[in-house]
Amino acid sequence: MARSFEVVLLDPNEVSFTRDGDTLGLTMADGTRYPRVALRCAFPVSDDTVHLSVRDASTEEQLEIGILENWGRLREPDRLAVAAELSLHYFVPRITRVRAVKEEFGFLRWTVETDKGPKEFVMRNSVVHYAREIAPDHWLLIDVGQARYEIPDLERLDAASQRLVRRYLYL
Amino acid sequence: MPMSGSERALGDDHDATAPSSLPPQPVMDVLREQGRDPTGLRLALRSDLSPDGKFGEQWLLMDDSDLWVLERPNGHARLRYRYPLDAIRDAKVERCVGNGLIQVTVGDEPRVLLHFSNEFIDQFGRVAFYLHERAERGPEVPVPDPDADAHRCRVCRQPLLDRSIKVCPRCIQRGRLLRRLLSLARPYWGRMGAIVGLLLAGVLVDLLPPYLTRVLIDDVLRGDAPQGMLLTLVGALLAIQVVRVGITLSTNWQTINLSTRFTSSLRDALFAHLKRLPVDYFDKNQIGRLMTRVNQDTGELQGLISQMTTFALNILLVIGIGAVLFTMAPSLGLYVLIPTPLVLAAAFFYYRYMRPHFERFWIARWRLNATLNTFLSGVRVVKAFAQEEQEQDRYHRRNEQVLNSRLQVDLAWSRFFPLVSFAFGAGGLIIWYAGGNAVLEGHITLGTLMAFLSYLGMFYGPLSNLTHISQTLNQFLTISQRMFEMLDEEPQVNQPDPIHKPQLGGQIAFDNVTFGYDPYFPVIRDLTLTIEPGEMIGVVGPSGAGKTTLVNLICRFYDVTRGTIRIDGEDIRDLSMEEIRRQIGMVLQTPFLFQGTLAENIVYGKPGATRDEIIRAAKAANAHDFITRLPEGYDTIVGEGGTGLSGGERQRVSIARAILHDPRILILDEATSSVDTETERQIQEALETLVKGRTTIAIAHRLSTLYNADRIVVLNHGRLEEQGPPRQLMDNKGAFYNLVQLQTQLARIDGVVTL
Repeated sequence: MARSFEVVLLDPNEVSFTRDGDTLGLTMADGTRYPRVALRCAFPVSDDTVHLSVRDASTEEQLEIGILENWGRLREPDRLAVAAELSLHYFVPRITRVRAVKEEFGFLRWTVETDKGPKEFVMRNSVVHYAREIAPDHWLLIDVGQARYEIPDLERLDAASQRLVRRYLYL
Repeated sequence: MPMSGSERALGDDHDATAPSSLPPQPVMDVLREQGRDPTGLRLALRSDLSPDGKFGEQWLLMDDSDLWVLERPNGHARLRYRYPLDAIRDAKVERCVGNGLIQVTVGDEPRVLLHFSNEFIDQFGRVAFYLHERAERGPEVPVPDPDADAHRCRVCRQPLLDRSIKVCPRCIQRGRLLRRLLSLARPYWGRMGAIVGLLLAGVLVDLLPPYLTRVLIDDVLRGDAPQGMLLTLVGALLAIQVVRVGITLSTNWQTINLSTRFTSSLRDALFAHLKRLPVDYFDKNQIGRLMTRVNQDTGELQGLISQMTTFALNILLVIGIGAVLFTMAPSLGLYVLIPTPLVLAAAFFYYRYMRPHFERFWIARWRLNATLNTFLSGVRVVKAFAQEEQEQDRYHRRNEQVLNSRLQVDLAWSRFFPLVSFAFGAGGLIIWYAGGNAVLEGHITLGTLMAFLSYLGMFYGPLSNLTHISQTLNQFLTISQRMFEMLDEEPQVNQPDPIHKPQLGGQIAFDNVTFGYDPYFPVIRDLTLTIEPGEMIGVVGPSGAGKTTLVNLICRFYDVTRGTIRIDGEDIRDLSMEEIRRQIGMVLQTPFLFQGTLAENIVYGKPGATRDEIIRAAKAANAHDFITRLPEGYDTIVGEGGTGLSGGERQRVSIARAILHDPRILILDEATSSVDTETERQIQEALETLVKGRTTIAIAHRLSTLYNADRIVVLNHGRLEEQGPPRQLMDNKGAFYNLVQLQTQLARIDGVVTL
């Protein structure tokens, strides 16, 4: 039960990740095997390549096994496995194009294209609460199911999309 | 679960175990290739994500023996996994970011089946709970309908956008709603009639002056009538103005009166209903939302009623003036219609063009206020970290935004207003031209033209006002619907014929109790535990173990999902709820004091107690000394806006309240966890007097406070992990021993830090 206050850093050359279906497993250099681990980025917004917390997902507490300081340094197969798991865990589609926005009964229905494919989502028409500017021109839209959609740089969307976003977010 | 709506009609005739939505053909084909008959499917659930973490499609299927996961790359179908149901030992869903996953345990290995986006979490949660139950209790556990109770519109079964009402705005039955609202307003029918009468009278009076102007121009000014007529007509015009003011005043007075009284009685009705609702209603609806419902919505309704009156007046005006215009000069009447689209366009344009500017300004101002608020509430932190400059920058940026948006509003307004005046003026010019011709040709008199122009001036205003009637009406209906849904919420009631127990013995027995706030996510699992009368039980365990839930169940704030709770041998559901609660006393971690005097707060559970009793209780609770030291003693006003008491003082007041209440069953929920050691000792002393002779259930974080408990119960993830007298548990070196060890270590660290 005792919990450690120390940070345990994992050596990228001493861990081996395996993916079987959607399950990410981990084997340590000393042979310890974790049938399922979970990954958490310490800085998912500002830099998701550093400080990755690797946790034992087979227990309810999901205790931390250790931290990978820079998971880009993992060996190729491990790196791919980690990237695949992260793209499943952090599902925040990035909007690449806004096709249409419709206002109905106090809701905004967005039809967008994202890096994860096309999507239609519904957001409460309260910009103050459901559209957040996390950095200049970097927006996060939160839909009625609390799912998040990101506009990494408003200036880099095409003109028509920008017009729609500016009109409905009152920019 | 009752199903309504036409979409489900097919399913109702079908085998109840068949899935509610069938997977597409390619998926069925794969199943056939595997030698399975797709009609044997018990469950089929779609996920909207593909295995590569994009939007796509996957299916989770279940027949009598196996669980299948299929993906659908490019419209095909491919089998991903198959697990025999009997090999699955547990299942759960986990929340990720923007999505969730379902995991099963096969043998000892946790396996992630698939990911799904947030909107499917309830459905997969039900399946996971089913698989968990099936693993524990065998294949006879009924298969759930994952779509049951999903947040869908009661009428069209489409997913609900606004979960604060159970019907989507499109399906609100307007007629029925308005009738219901009207019948609720029955006591005000007389007043409503008066308002309608006043409105009609007002419109008639409004129509008179232009008519008199016509007489004035045609008959008096051209010298056909005696000169005395001029004075009479001007006098009549003055009289009409006076009457009009009178009518406007009394209409306003009546409307304000009606809307205020009506909404105030509605607020009363809502509160009266609210207090009878079960606790789980308050869990599902956050306090903020309920406050909005009771206070803001009714307030808004009040404004909307006034607005509706304006609409009614405008409709009457448009009809009345329209009729007059057409009868007065039918040929000119048609010209009136020419500028009408222009007027409507201007009104529409206003909404489209001006509103965003205002909206932008309001948002900027809101952000500025929020910045100031953050600074003021965190001023110590700002100063301690010497970050005044940074805050100045932040405020300056926000202020700049307010400035800019305000400039934009004024600029837009200054551009918009002349344009609209031009549109309205141009309309008048058409009439001047056509009407002028008609006068010259002798079809109408000059007076008629002048009257016509005056009527015209009164016509376009109300018309443009009517363009946003549908929006206001929608708002009005949505708010009414929301309030009626709250009024329709089932209050918690006793069994028709409850067993009365005016004097409880105090024995509490849990018999195989399973409970979850959401029945598919249990918090207490298969708990069996008997607490004897007068016994003191200490409940410990990590947070989320179900400790507070346990006491919520004893108070019957919730009903168990499975199993029974008995008090003195009787099923708690058969007992009179009020009687049970009256004999339960609670001391909570954050004591709640009501607005009122200390004395009033102490007698809360026993109205009518004497002053002597109050003082006795306060004394036993170690509260008497600090109370008498206060300038107003027991008459000190506490609560919102009253004298501030420290956490320990408040706690002792709440203990005095419990002592006076004299309950048979006493619940202490973390009663001493947020106070310093000395205060804890004082509270501990107070509690010792309180627990004597009562069945006591004490939840505690500081295990040291439980040494005098008769028995310790260790909960973990809703299960009973260990129980027994404290000494014995220490000797056993089990879960309790470990918790104590952990705390002793922490205490040592504490000591180092304070040194």
